Amino acid sequence: MGIRFNQVSHGYTSFADGLYTAIKDISFEISDKNEFIALVGHTGSGKSTLAKHMNALIFPTSGTLEIFGKTITSKRDKKIKYNDIRKKVGLVFQFPEYQLFEETVEKDIMFGPMNFKISKEEAKALAKESLNLVGLDDSYLTRNPYNLSGGEKKRVSIAGILAMNPDILVLDEPTSGLDPAGRRVLMDLFKDIHDKTKKSVIIITHDMDLVYQYFNRVLVMNEGHLIFDGDPEKLFREKDLFKNHLDYPNTIKVLDYLNKSLGINLDIYKRTIEEALLEIKGAEKL
Amino acid sequence: MKSVIIGQYIPGKGLFYKLDPRTKIIAVFLLMVSVFLFERIEQLLIALGVATLLLLVGKINIIRVIKGLKPIMILLIFTFIFQIMLNKQGQKVVEHDMYFTLFTLLFLVIAFILWRVMVKITKFRFTFFFLFVISIYLILRYVDYGQTIIQPFNFTIYEDGITMSIFVVIRLLIIITLSTVLTLTTKPTDLTQGLEKLMHPLKKIGFDSESFALIISISLRYIPTIFDEANKIMMAQASRGADFSEGKLKDKLRQVISLLVPMFIIAFIRSEELANAMESRNFVPGEPRTRIHELTMSYRDTLATLFSFSVLILSIVLKVI
Repeated sequence: MGIRFNQVSHGYTSFADGLYTAIKDISFEISDKNEFIALVGHTGSGKSTLAKHMNALIFPTSGTLEIFGKTITSKRDKKIKYNDIRKKVGLVFQFPEYQLFEETVEKDIMFGPMNFKISKEEAKALAKESLNLVGLDDSYLTRNPYNLSGGEKKRVSIAGILAMNPDILVLDEPTSGLDPAGRRVLMDLFKDIHDKTKKSVIIITHDMDLVYQYFNRVLVMNEGHLIFDGDPEKLFREKDLFKNHLDYPNTIKVLDYLNKSLGINLDIYKRTIEEALLEIKGAEKL
Repeated sequence: MKSVIIGQYIPGKGLFYKLDPRTKIIAVFLLMVSVFLFERIEQLLIALGVATLLLLVGKINIIRVIKGLKPIMILLIFTFIFQIMLNKQGQKVVEHDMYFTLFTLLFLVIAFILWRVMVKITKFRFTFFFLFVISIYLILRYVDYGQTIIQPFNFTIYEDGITMSIFVVIRLLIIITLSTVLTLTTKPTDLTQGLEKLMHPLKKIGFDSESFALIISISLRYIPTIFDEANKIMMAQASRGADFSEGKLKDKLRQVISLLVPMFIIAFIRSEELANAMESRNFVPGEPRTRIHELTMSYRDTLATLFSFSVLILSIVLKVI
């Protein structure tokens, strides 16, 4: 078993308006294998707060949460080695600037594994391996992480977590601030890691196209509540996404528009542009 | 972090909120000077009463101010104790021997453990610290059986020591209360604007009060931001196994670097962004600027200034007499 949320709520105390509850009464389960999950929701819906719970960076204000058999409550338990949890659940933050600090990319990636008492040689090998995994070649090993472009920094920060070899990988908006090509490359990379290692991957994103294209399970947050957990297609069929400050994928929007304006009856639930194109071409023949 | 009240503005509607920041700064300054001029303990006690009265008049929550005093309490207690111990003038009030025996050591250890345990399970940390200090004294004084480790030493308290220590503590209390009132009721931006206006005449001798005020207000503005950023960095590094609450000291030192470097880099990024944002809104250092909120004086300000002036004059008169 991987991560299980039991009615988890988390509140932040703020100076002006007292307690602000970021997530409310959340219950769901993530298994440690074969999961590829998207976590979506509008800005401020509690996605990041939820993600930070997954490797016990913050504790629930109420409710409990089980991570690989360890029960996390609102209080710090001295018997639990939180570092072990963080080795098992790797969390990549949205902005790479928050974690890069060494002079070279190699050293920076080694920081994670070295914290978990792995020998220097092994850590070096891991750094090289994970750097290649995120699509950067060995020449980057000796470069200064601060002289890289935004996308490269992001990849290095992801490599820094991958090198720890976590069982579950959680990524907070890994595709934000990247161009469309870069997005697809990274998403393919995550899918690839998932397919090869069968590790569970949870990705926070705003991009519904990516959600529809890549994922078979989606969690939707709205104002701190978990309002949907399941297949993305079911989500697009059942929920009014605009009400929840979200959007439909472009394929659905385009096909739906064609249906409405031309009065035809296309199947609008197509995952990729190619599938949608086929559907349109099929309709042309008729 | 959140319990420290100095420098924290709390929105409210009392009298002090309506005063001009310039008035408040001047008044606090004058009152502080007069507090230092008072020489008799009665005068100081009256001054303390007046300070409390001011809190009541300004409808400021006294409990908040007392809570804010907590971090400074340690300082106050230390000054109190040192004044008592080191001042050797006037009549002797208390005089007796102190013993330090094996049993004393044992009792001290017990008291220490009791203190730590009580602090862990109850909320009144401060009270227990106090009790601990008192118990040290009592143990040193009364536990006199057993093998002495060091020679019995003389413990004396002099009359002047007591008066001086009370004096210093009350003085500090008044000063802290006054400055707390100032910072509680004045927005940091207003405060810097007031300072800027007050120091404006110094421009003639080459002191650029506007830049100075800007530096202060920007640094104040960025304290919570930087604090937030530090928190995020800590979490990002904790995700990579650098947990600051676990691990050995040697590891912790290495982990501190992982915090400091991103901290500096982010501070630089932030300041560059801010500079660009300010310049794109036509900020030119040294050029005259208009403000949305101009400071205005009212009859209240005149009254407050008169009040603080009369206190100062009174203290001078009392000192001369």
